[in-house]
Amino acid sequence: MAGSQTSLREANRALVIDTVRRFGGLTQVELATATGLSAATVSTIVRELLAAEVVQTRAAVRSGRRAVMVTMNRRVGLAVGVQVGLRSLEIVLADAAHEVLARQTLPLPFEHRADTTLDQVALLVVELLQRVGAEIDNLVGIGIGVPAPVDPSTGIVSLPGVMRGWDDVPIAHMISKRLGRPVFVDNDANLGALAESTLGAGRPYRDFAYVRVSHGIGAGIVIGGSVYRGFSGTAGEIGHSQVAVNGKICLCGSRGCLDTVVGSRTLVSALSVSHGLLTLRDIVKGVHDGDPGCTRVVEDAGAVIGTAVATMTLTINPECVIVGGELAETHEVLIRPIREAIRQRVMSTRITPIEVVPAELGPAAEATGALALALALAETDAAPRGAGREPRATPGEDGGPSPPPPTRGHRPRP
Amino acid sequence: MARIEDRGRVPLIRLRHVTKTFGAVEALVGFDLQVHPHQVVALVGDNGAGKSTVAKIISGVLQPDTGLLELNGTPTQIPGPSAALSAGIAAVFQDLALCDNLDVTANIFLGRALHRHGLLDEDAMEQAARRTLAMLNSDIPSVRTPVRALSAGQRQSVAIARALISNPRVIVLDEPTAALSVVQTAEVLSHIERLRDVGLGVIFISHNMNDVRAVADRIEVMRHGRNNGSFEAATASYETVLAAITGAVRLQHAV
Repeated sequence: MAGSQTSLREANRALVIDTVRRFGGLTQVELATATGLSAATVSTIVRELLAAEVVQTRAAVRSGRRAVMVTMNRRVGLAVGVQVGLRSLEIVLADAAHEVLARQTLPLPFEHRADTTLDQVALLVVELLQRVGAEIDNLVGIGIGVPAPVDPSTGIVSLPGVMRGWDDVPIAHMISKRLGRPVFVDNDANLGALAESTLGAGRPYRDFAYVRVSHGIGAGIVIGGSVYRGFSGTAGEIGHSQVAVNGKICLCGSRGCLDTVVGSRTLVSALSVSHGLLTLRDIVKGVHDGDPGCTRVVEDAGAVIGTAVATMTLTINPECVIVGGELAETHEVLIRPIREAIRQRVMSTRITPIEVVPAELGPAAEATGALALALALAETDAAPRGAGREPRATPGEDGGPSPPPPTRGHRPRP
Repeated sequence: MARIEDRGRVPLIRLRHVTKTFGAVEALVGFDLQVHPHQVVALVGDNGAGKSTVAKIISGVLQPDTGLLELNGTPTQIPGPSAALSAGIAAVFQDLALCDNLDVTANIFLGRALHRHGLLDEDAMEQAARRTLAMLNSDIPSVRTPVRALSAGQRQSVAIARALISNPRVIVLDEPTAALSVVQTAEVLSHIERLRDVGLGVIFISHNMNDVRAVADRIEVMRHGRNNGSFEAATASYETVLAAITGAVRLQHAV
């Protein structure tokens, strides 16, 4: 079979790269056992990758012996992206080219405390840097996403009550004081939108909405290629739009918010009689396994979310709606009813019907967006005042006057 | 793989009114516990509350004085650790009991090495070790690394992998996150989520309320060998659970 030699070598190269990326850094000997390739093959591949500047090597000591440590080649200037979710924390460490060097997930308790969680974030940053053999000084910035609207001017949660115990917490300040690096905080749906806009499904569009369906519902709005946050950061908070006039009281104090109708707690309790106590992850898995109850609950949620998204799209007229978040892992089961509800309610113009597509970056979107925010703002921060601007989906195209650069971060004094 | 509908019917393991005393020490008094497939049950309580005694009874190390132990609804005796293993119960104790000088594979297959034609089947063992560690999403690069070269978190995953090799249905983890760094804790907690996802019943013993509330479905509070409250981890606040641990809130028990 012609070309099979080449494709085998390609596959082995890909395997080596994947393995280095997964472990952050490892010696050639470890690389051989981790991949199952021979030491000679690994040595050859590493030499090729070194020449192609994909990886870098340095001398190290393992178990008292000299060894060659292989890490991904990194551009100067590392950044960290953190997504603080309601029940888990995602952290990614990457270089200036968005090349991910290390990542970690930490399950979090219900109503986790700001002090404990932020302490864990600081320690995770330091440990991940150690894992890839980097120093804290190599870090240009840290981006943090939270599942609540954030005031762009202060980096503090701007809607009291929705994240219990996190109101008035100076998130950026607490982390930058510990680590001495600039920290930027934003709403997670905005960060998901930013990530999809620069690296994911939003690349072809200048006007789109990113709807994040997780424990709660949120949306990030991209207009003219940049994320629109609104005056106090609550733009796109469709989780708090009213969908049930006589519904339950929401954490925000209003009645019948979308979150109270399709939030994870409501979905879980809808299944409690038939299925016992489930988690959001169980529901997603149930849908994958073809469980009729879980499927029904997700479809119905999609229909309700669709009506709320439809209202929003009438206001902002996006070209596309991108659906992400944990529940979007159920793919068309969630997305089809959202699409149908939107198409039913939104006037279809002669130009084109609104597209409703799944997110491309999956569960990593928010942390990736936090990373992108840190890289972009750390750069503009370093530039002379007034020169900074939002990261744009399509650089080089100027869509009119830009808003002043956000100062949602905290920069420690030198 | 356990289907979701199978849950909540017959528990994998159930302790009914179990009592265990050591002289004047009442380690367990009328203790009840049940664990279903696809469920993480956390045992929390002060030092000496009886958490480890429960772990030892379930894994066959200790025998209850009175009370009943049921497996899949059938009353059973677990006379020793090997009986527990063949009944589908595996345990990882605090000290891990790993051999530092042996590599990861040898530790995982310690005492039950695979043979082929009368010789050690190194390949099969290595593959199984790699598969189990991959299932746990473990970050141990090589199954030929001696255990002494591993971090505390990696050692914990080797110990868990060793417990998994016997294909258990229930796994008991005694303080798996004690003395681990945040990254290592994150790994072990992720392992616990994985074990639950593949349908195991997990008994997670810990002092750390943060870790317990992060991954448990149900939190059973123990106080002086007795049940002192059972909470749904998805909705129980720190305050309620802590009140039960410290005895600020007490369940009424017959003396």
